[in-house]
Amino acid sequence: MIRRHHSMLLAALWLSAFSLSSMAAGNADAGAEKAVTCQACHGVAGAKSVTPDIPLLAGQHEDYLSHALKAYRSGARQQAVMATFAQQLSDQDIADLSAYFSAQDSALRTAKSGD
Amino acid sequence: MNYRQPHASLPRSSTRPLVAGLLAGLLASIPITGALAQDSNGSAAADIEAGQRYFYTCTGCHGIPGYNNVYPTYKVPMIGGQNELYIINALKAYKNGTRQHETMQVQAESMSEQDIINVAAYLASMNSKESS
Repeated sequence: MIRRHHSMLLAALWLSAFSLSSMAAGNADAGAEKAVTCQACHGVAGAKSVTPDIPLLAGQHEDYLSHALKAYRSGARQQAVMATFAQQLSDQDIADLSAYFSAQDSALRTAKSGD
Repeated sequence: MNYRQPHASLPRSSTRPLVAGLLAGLLASIPITGALAQDSNGSAAADIEAGQRYFYTCTGCHGIPGYNNVYPTYKVPMIGGQNELYIINALKAYKNGTRQHETMQVQAESMSEQDIINVAAYLASMNSKESS
């Protein structure tokens, strides 16, 4: 099992090293395990934030979530709590988390004029 | 015109109900109650219909399913149903430049504080699941 995890880790490292970071393929199942920390504030499945200043993540576009996490990680987008967490994330972690949250049942939708 | 910040807190003391009552009375006596009335969060009252009208400007990007930001390429976020205070904070951050996105900064700069509150309330009102 440990060996298997190692090989997965190596595969993840290889992917992040040799592909453009934005092209890392996300794994929603892996993201679910990594998302435990996030749910303390963003709620179960990122669908019910504990306070209204915290965004809903469930169902949000996968590539937007990745973009946001990378911006928090680089400091281009500044928010103290998110910076702390994002700085611990690899490109693969970000891809997995984005795949997971984007796949969750959502209260979010595209707001069209006239709605 | 100054508006109270969302979640602005009153002094914690036994006089709090009294202070709140006086404040409410004072606000009710001001003619422009639409702009200065307080909701339960202590923020300026939102006009959802005005927010809906204002949002027409935003639909060029946020109203088209799967519409892409040009560079870097990612789909513009879905904001229908998003939490109200998050939207308010995001627009204020674009407006004051602490959050950077060329188009959003230009848009937010032209928004008044009341516009921001209205649009956020309109978007949050689309959440049928009643998230907090």
